[in-house]
Amino acid sequence: MKAASFEHHEPTTVEEAVSLLESLDEPTILAGGQSLVPMLRFRLARPDTVIDINGIDSLEYLHEEDGYLRIGALARHADVEDTDVIADRYGSFADAAPLIADPQIRNQGTVVGSMAQADPKGDWGSVLIAHDGEVTARGPDGERTIPVDELFLLPYDTSLMDDELLTEARVPAPVEGEGSAYHKLKRKTGDYAMAGVAARLVLDDDGRIEDAGIGMTAVDITNARAADAEAHLEGERPSADLFEEAGELAAEASNPESDEHGDAGYKERMVDVLTQRALGDAAERAGAVKRRVPQ
Amino acid sequence: MTDKREITLTVNGTERTVEAEPRKLLVHAIREDLDLTGTHIGCDTGNCGACTVLKDGEPIKSCLTFAVQADGSEIMTVEGMEDLPEASGELHPLQEGFREEHGLQCGYCTPGMIMSGKALLDENPDPEEGEIREAISGNLCRCTGYQNIVKSIEYAADELNKEPAAADGGTVTAEQRFADDDFDCGVENCCGGPSTETPHVEGADPQFDDVGGDDT
Repeated sequence: MKAASFEHHEPTTVEEAVSLLESLDEPTILAGGQSLVPMLRFRLARPDTVIDINGIDSLEYLHEEDGYLRIGALARHADVEDTDVIADRYGSFADAAPLIADPQIRNQGTVVGSMAQADPKGDWGSVLIAHDGEVTARGPDGERTIPVDELFLLPYDTSLMDDELLTEARVPAPVEGEGSAYHKLKRKTGDYAMAGVAARLVLDDDGRIEDAGIGMTAVDITNARAADAEAHLEGERPSADLFEEAGELAAEASNPESDEHGDAGYKERMVDVLTQRALGDAAERAGAVKRRVPQ
Repeated sequence: MTDKREITLTVNGTERTVEAEPRKLLVHAIREDLDLTGTHIGCDTGNCGACTVLKDGEPIKSCLTFAVQADGSEIMTVEGMEDLPEASGELHPLQEGFREEHGLQCGYCTPGMIMSGKALLDENPDPEEGEIREAISGNLCRCTGYQNIVKSIEYAADELNKEPAAADGGTVTAEQRFADDDFDCGVENCCGGPSTETPHVEGADPQFDDVGGDDT
């Protein structure tokens, strides 16, 4: 046996899961398990009880509803790849999904589980930041909404209470003139990001940037927002020069650590480059017309 | 130690029950309880993909899931490949592909590669090379350099696409295929192809006809 013994609970409703969270002693929630199962089998985590939520059918959804893209706690990364509305309207989600781990892991791992895991190298946190997303937590006293900026506290640590279950992640449905993208640097398939940037732009009728969102992966202690870069973009017309300035501001806002893949300076430079690329794709998808450069 | 639980799995079409503690990984249930050792454990960390099986038709890493999570599901392992209709009772075209194209050297990654290949071809019968590479990107091979693995899966795709489609759009079984007397695979001395024992047909070739041949 690899993992230490644990009691396995399989609730079939959210209510049941929440009452188990309340009554059991420090249980762990198991969704896709692609991070948790390795942690259990290496005994990095040794919970006495595991609440397996895979039997809660009501959490299996991924669709647009009431002005939001809603992602239920059991929607897998592969579901994001296979959903038409995402391919058509959510460029950043469509870019990010196939860059996560590998096909087998994407068939099991969940978007919401990745948010709960709060790994600073997770991709979905950055995408949700760029889209001003939020999550729903269900606890004994009912539901509460947590904006993504208030969810991540430290690596692997969130503002969720011990007796709360994350049931949904959602982002506002794109408006007219909106485009988004995700760019990620990694050595090979299956690796976590060395750096990643999600960008979202909304252009007004005049072609100026009305709203901008930029989230960064693996370059701080949590997924992080490049707020100065966002502010610099708003009110301006998209251009290569403007995106270069935004890239520099994003790099300044990042706080990467040196590791075997590259030193901090290199990663900052990569944040700069990835920001420019993601903004370029987002602008194109938002319908910005590329100016013809005179020869 | 927590109590064992009875888990029901439909493995390669047969319903099997396993008594397992919740902490038992699916790959251990498959190998140790069901004695199906075709599914390999390679890296033990979720990286290598040697333990890939199909769960309800989708490839997963059986070392990254507990057996209890698979309760009630359909599992397919490499042992089930030969029982598929496309195998005609012998090797499945994917397995044949790995033999024909030299898609393995040590063979350790092969079961996982075959299951990933199977999942790909089920969804996309005529994949581009890039799509094959993407489909096996969760499977590591330390011998071949992948070129021949890609060729093996291409071989299988070609073979499967050669199969004549049945009236209902499904795949024709071997029995159905050879029940048709007019079927011609094009190979000499085989199912309707040119043969020394082919009955003489008047007019088919003048040199053998009674009229106009050498003996007239």
